[in-house]
Amino acid sequence: MSSHEKPSSGSIFPGIIIGALLMVGGTYLSINQLSPMTETFTKQGLDLDLGMTVATIGVFLILFPVIKFFFIGPLTEAIDHRNQELEHTFSDAETLRADMQKLRDGYEKQLAESEASARTQIEAQIKEAQSLRQTLVSEATAKADDLLRKATEEIESEKVKAIIDIRLHVVDLTLSATEKILGQNIDAEVNRRLVNEFIDRVEVAP
Amino acid sequence: MEDKRIGRRYAQALYDVAKKHAVVAAVESDLDAIIGALDRDPAFKDFLFAPHASREQKTETLDRLFADRITALTMQIIRVMLEKRREHDIPAVQREFVAIRRDDEGIVFATVASAMALSAAEKKALITKLNKSLGKTVEAEYKIDPKLIGGVKVTYGAYVLDGTVRGALNQLKERLRHDLLKQQA
Repeated sequence: MSSHEKPSSGSIFPGIIIGALLMVGGTYLSINQLSPMTETFTKQGLDLDLGMTVATIGVFLILFPVIKFFFIGPLTEAIDHRNQELEHTFSDAETLRADMQKLRDGYEKQLAESEASARTQIEAQIKEAQSLRQTLVSEATAKADDLLRKATEEIESEKVKAIIDIRLHVVDLTLSATEKILGQNIDAEVNRRLVNEFIDRVEVAP
Repeated sequence: MEDKRIGRRYAQALYDVAKKHAVVAAVESDLDAIIGALDRDPAFKDFLFAPHASREQKTETLDRLFADRITALTMQIIRVMLEKRREHDIPAVQREFVAIRRDDEGIVFATVASAMALSAAEKKALITKLNKSLGKTVEAEYKIDPKLIGGVKVTYGAYVLDGTVRGALNQLKERLRHDLLKQQA
């Protein structure tokens, strides 16, 4: 905000009037050599025209408000306006800076949240992957153990089956040999004895 | 194609009439003779069962062959069966007639198999023992089967009395197999 104000025409008029009076009065004194002091000064070696001095002061009094009104005022106003624009620009820049800071804070917060979320998700995924890996390893181990157990059981079963088959084969061979021997050794007499024994011990269902 | 149910019906009717006239044994003998002729003479069997031979031809031939050798009742049933195109069922009629007669008389039919032929005394002793044990009359059919090795096997109804060496070996074999398989289980 500017502290300078444009001078009003009312405030400059007294100065102009006084200046005009002094200029007219001084000019009159100078022209008419009415000032005794001028003569005194001249005698003392000073070339000083008091009337002209007063007229000059009057001109100055007239010119000062005019200069102030037409040059200094607009210049001050322009400077104030420029200052205001600069202040406004600075204020806008500050606001922008604050907004940018706020956005930056927001972005940083979002970034931090995203990073945290990503970290959490990554950790969760890692845990899940580890859990899945553990599960797969456990299942594979269980399956391998089961296959091994089944294979062992199957081998054992096949072994027992093979032994039983061998024994059954031995039984068949033995009985076949026995049958041949008996067939060669059973004659009519032995057969008769077998028949008679059968007749003696036979018991039938009623 | 032989049909047991048809044979049973003819046999039942024949048996009822034969029993009424007290000629059961004669009729059974007639049927045995006819079946024996069929078994012995393939040409006769082919002729009897031939589809192209007429009923009249078959009737005339059987009349000529058996009319003076078998009872009138048997001849009559044979004629009826030829008339009805049931000549294929004659063997079934014979079997069912015997079965009906045995059922009616309370006779048990047994098959006696042995490795060697049984003597008459052995047959008599066996039948006597079976008659006594069963409390019924036993009729036996005797077969020789060398595979039995020794001893005798009697089969009647759903029962088997096995006194053969083959049976003993089979029993021993089954017991050993059973024990071995039990070990496996």
